[in-house]
Amino acid sequence: MTSGSAPVERIQRHKSIDRAYHWLMAVSVLVLLLTAFLPILGIKFEWVGIHWVTGLVLTVIVLMHIIRATIWQNFWAMMIDSTDLKAPFGKPGKYSLAQKLYHLAISVLILAVIATGLLMWRKVDTPFWQRDPYWLSTENWGLVYAAHGLVAMALVTMIIIHVYFALRPDEWHLTRSMLRGWITRKEYQDHHDPRRWAAKD
Amino acid sequence: MSLFRYANSIYGGSDTLIGANYGLLPWFALAGVALAIAHAVFKAVTAADKPR
Repeated sequence: MTSGSAPVERIQRHKSIDRAYHWLMAVSVLVLLLTAFLPILGIKFEWVGIHWVTGLVLTVIVLMHIIRATIWQNFWAMMIDSTDLKAPFGKPGKYSLAQKLYHLAISVLILAVIATGLLMWRKVDTPFWQRDPYWLSTENWGLVYAAHGLVAMALVTMIIIHVYFALRPDEWHLTRSMLRGWITRKEYQDHHDPRRWAAKD
Repeated sequence: MSLFRYANSIYGGSDTLIGANYGLLPWFALAGVALAIAHAVFKAVTAADKPR
């Protein structure tokens, strides 16, 4: 809690449940991308079981996040508002315009990959049912597979961008807050508008 | 390079869409790397322009 002799005031940015969600989602998405693309790149293994079980985990945690964000969190903190558009490079509230746009894009991609993945699940033998490849027409399966694949490849682009920003020194306080939950009062004053994000100590 | 993969129809009709073209995967990865490099260069240039 101290840096040298002066105490460092900490401001909570992410609760432990939200950090757990973020890292569980990160692991799930990485496992899903690796199990999807490694066999295509020539590294063959039994990937289907790992892929659909991890996809199910991702579906459940995303559902829990939507419920939590809607009921218990400030849902509007992540929504683009008129102040973001009037001063896109001004001091933001809890999240900057760029972060909100990224969240919006990743939300659309993740929801699309989950929706198409759940449909594709019907073509896999599970403890709950036997596969039914004729559940949709050949043309519609083609559309589902194409959407799933394109979204998965777009997620690779998005993750590279996300990791780049997480590793930038000027964004390190945000990465630390996703690891340990807090930013310092100085970081809060330097990077945020207190009228738009009234942070609690 | 097409975004999609097609298979020949067994009924002799037009080709059937079967999925995305995974040959594009390196291009999607490259797009992410290119955006990161472009941003890093932009930040470095604008930081150098700022009075110290």
